[in-house]
Amino acid sequence: MSSRNENFRRVLGRVVQQDFVGRAAELNRIMAHAESAKAGRGLLLLMEPSAGVSELLRQAYDQIFNRRSEVIPIYFAISRNETTAVSAAIEFLNTFLQQYIAYRRDEPVVSDAPLTLHDLVELAPAADLEWIEQLVESYNRLRFSNDDKALVRFCLGAPQRIPAVRGRPFVMLDGSQLAEYLNGAVVLGTEILRVFARGGFSFVLAGLRRQILEAAHDANCNFELLDMLRLEQLDATEAAKLVEHVARRQQVATSEAARDLIVQQFAGSPFFIHTYLQAAREKHAPLHSYLDCERLYVDELFGGHIHRHFADLLEEISPRLDTRHLLIRLLWEAAAGEEPISSFELWRKRLHMTATELEDLLHRLHVQEFVNWDETTIEAGSGPQAWKDYLKIRYRLDVMSEPRALVVADMLADSLKRAPHTMARHYKQIANAGLRDLISRFNCQQVPAALFDYKIFSEKYKGAESETIVSGLAAETEFIKLPQTIHLATCSAFISDMRQLCEDEHCLVAHTFEEATYSDAQEVIWLAADIESKLEVDVSVARAWCDRFESMAERLGFSRFQIWLISNEGFSVEASALLARRKALGSSRQQLELLASHVRDSVHNAVVETEGPDEFMMVVPMGEDNELIAASTAEQIAKRLTFRPEAINQIKTAIVEACINASEHSFSPDRKIYQRFRVESDRLVITISSRGIVPTNLNGTKSGAEAKEVAEERRGWGLKLIRTLMDEVEFERVDDGTSLRMTKYLRPQKESKSAIE
Amino acid sequence: MDTPSGGLVRSHCVGTTAVVYASDYLNKLTGEKIERECRRQLDCGCRALVIDFSDTELVNSIGISILLGIIDVAEKSGAQIVFSEVNNQTVQLFEMLGLTRHVVLAKDEHEALINLSRFETTPIVH
Repeated sequence: MSSRNENFRRVLGRVVQQDFVGRAAELNRIMAHAESAKAGRGLLLLMEPSAGVSELLRQAYDQIFNRRSEVIPIYFAISRNETTAVSAAIEFLNTFLQQYIAYRRDEPVVSDAPLTLHDLVELAPAADLEWIEQLVESYNRLRFSNDDKALVRFCLGAPQRIPAVRGRPFVMLDGSQLAEYLNGAVVLGTEILRVFARGGFSFVLAGLRRQILEAAHDANCNFELLDMLRLEQLDATEAAKLVEHVARRQQVATSEAARDLIVQQFAGSPFFIHTYLQAAREKHAPLHSYLDCERLYVDELFGGHIHRHFADLLEEISPRLDTRHLLIRLLWEAAAGEEPISSFELWRKRLHMTATELEDLLHRLHVQEFVNWDETTIEAGSGPQAWKDYLKIRYRLDVMSEPRALVVADMLADSLKRAPHTMARHYKQIANAGLRDLISRFNCQQVPAALFDYKIFSEKYKGAESETIVSGLAAETEFIKLPQTIHLATCSAFISDMRQLCEDEHCLVAHTFEEATYSDAQEVIWLAADIESKLEVDVSVARAWCDRFESMAERLGFSRFQIWLISNEGFSVEASALLARRKALGSSRQQLELLASHVRDSVHNAVVETEGPDEFMMVVPMGEDNELIAASTAEQIAKRLTFRPEAINQIKTAIVEACINASEHSFSPDRKIYQRFRVESDRLVITISSRGIVPTNLNGTKSGAEAKEVAEERRGWGLKLIRTLMDEVEFERVDDGTSLRMTKYLRPQKESKSAIE
Repeated sequence: MDTPSGGLVRSHCVGTTAVVYASDYLNKLTGEKIERECRRQLDCGCRALVIDFSDTELVNSIGISILLGIIDVAEKSGAQIVFSEVNNQTVQLFEMLGLTRHVVLAKDEHEALINLSRFETTPIVH
């Protein structure tokens, strides 16, 4: 339902709907969660640090408020002002009653007014007065009972006291990342999940992803009743829109270059973008140039909102000043790359802490994703760029006691020097996004082998018109079957030294399986590098890359690997010869683009296949001549497509054979045959699937000798018949069992095959 | 007309030739029934077999493999075998799997019997 109309009232939202950009999908998901079908379910909003969630929930609140349905929106943000779980829970109760009454009275202003419980009882609609009075009385009794846990649970459970006839509460709790650090005996985050998960009402709990998941486990939540929504940073396009909207709202003049730098410098973080542009407004600082941007950035790091954000976090993580200085030193040294991974014991010694104290500190750093801690080792040096810059400043000022003016000047100079590199990296990433995307789409497609051999490609197609190349490739007879990619990461993720040799996205490691068959024999690691070169890559560069990858493979224990080098202009004759000798693949940019188009087309086709409207599905039990039912169905469908009677008989026989194969060879646990008939304008595609094992004799074509041997036996002819009777026959990869796809064209694509003998 | 015990395969004898009728779907089960009936007829002294496919619409590969077994059995018994009234689709399958090298196809039962009577009058030269 679109609520973008003149009657829409802003209640808690801080921006008008039109200015809320970048989170449309997430907002829709929350709105869907409020529907009755999700009644009683929880939605965990797992937020990457600084990804921003508050406005998303406030926008959801406003939309639900304006709908005036049976869903009663409740939004509560735990703030840093609350120092104990009890005070936070009491504040929740107050907010709940206030927003409930605001909704019932349809008076948005009540939602955010400073009201006491006494005021709220007076404002309660007559129909609600009784239960609200009882709630307040019970609260007053518990408040002085010295049972904090009972009081916290009572307050958090208040929404379930709404009489069913008044509507369904939809509670959105924001900022729960703070809950764990509240003083007192009650761990609020865990209590929230315990009460909400058993409260029978729908809720959204938003917080830092690592913390929320941990709290859900600690609270022994029933994960079947929980949905998850991951909230990450915005992509460059959405983040650029956000900068434009916020800058306009804050009346900050920006150029396109500045906008893009802000997006990249803050890695698309809505929190930092908002905070930064707010500072620009407060300081009346237009952002036209890189210098404008970096001046404001450095100001923010030294004493602005960003400084306060990180200072508050550090204080929460390490309240003692002396330890904080030691921590800053440790973290900065790790961020500077001196000791990114170290042991728990080393940290304990350097921070002069007990094991328990250090565990607490590391847990807090881990939740904020400033470190990755796995009980024994600590990997520091992560976190956003602003965090690393803040650490550097604090280190130089607090630990090294350097003059402030010098640190400011250095930081400004460094930021300015870094800005063009930041943008260059982004532009290269855009250019190279293709390679990562392409490899990630490898899924057993057959592509012309010429696309992986620059020598052959250049001999045949260099300088040719694109139509000629496309038609030439279509007529190629040599193919490479791509493997299925199951994991893709940058080389530096495996060996950090690789970062010094090339940009992250230029050098990738793909774990793949040939034929999508998950066995040791079929596992191949693809090592791909996009080499920057304006000319054909010469033999020395090609050799260096092959050596590098071979050494990497040895170091990482990759027993089977495939090197693939890409260069804009391809490879010299000598380099091509070297690649051939080393069994490495080499492609130019043009080959890469053609390959991408082949792979994209095959993916597109796959989508069409599964989404086609003219599709019939049928499940029949194995045995009892049930293959005849399938054959009859196919006959009826084929008649609609005006297949010739002879072709219809061929289809029927092929289906019968496929069903027999499924019945005889699959050891199917459910003894069922799954059939899908898809009608296309020029063909009928039939897929026969069954669960169970993959018979070894079914997968792929046999060699001539093997085929003869099989033909001489009196059984095992089914697949041979199918291949002869149908135009295309292919086994689709499925995790369990087999799936045989058979295609018959209205106009046969091939001449009839001769007898199998 | 003769219906053997223990099966539903229709058959009858014309002299020393047994005519066995295949059902509408020749699969493992019906194929084995035909095989049993053919063996029975051979054991009873028949010197030739006609398997009639006039009712047969669909044949699967298991059925075909059983037919090959019947051809073997007939050969070993020194009996002639003819397939009659096989539809085009089934002929195509027989050709694909090489059955037509081992068996004579006749247009119908009558033609099959005539073919076999010629064999009976032709002296066998070793």
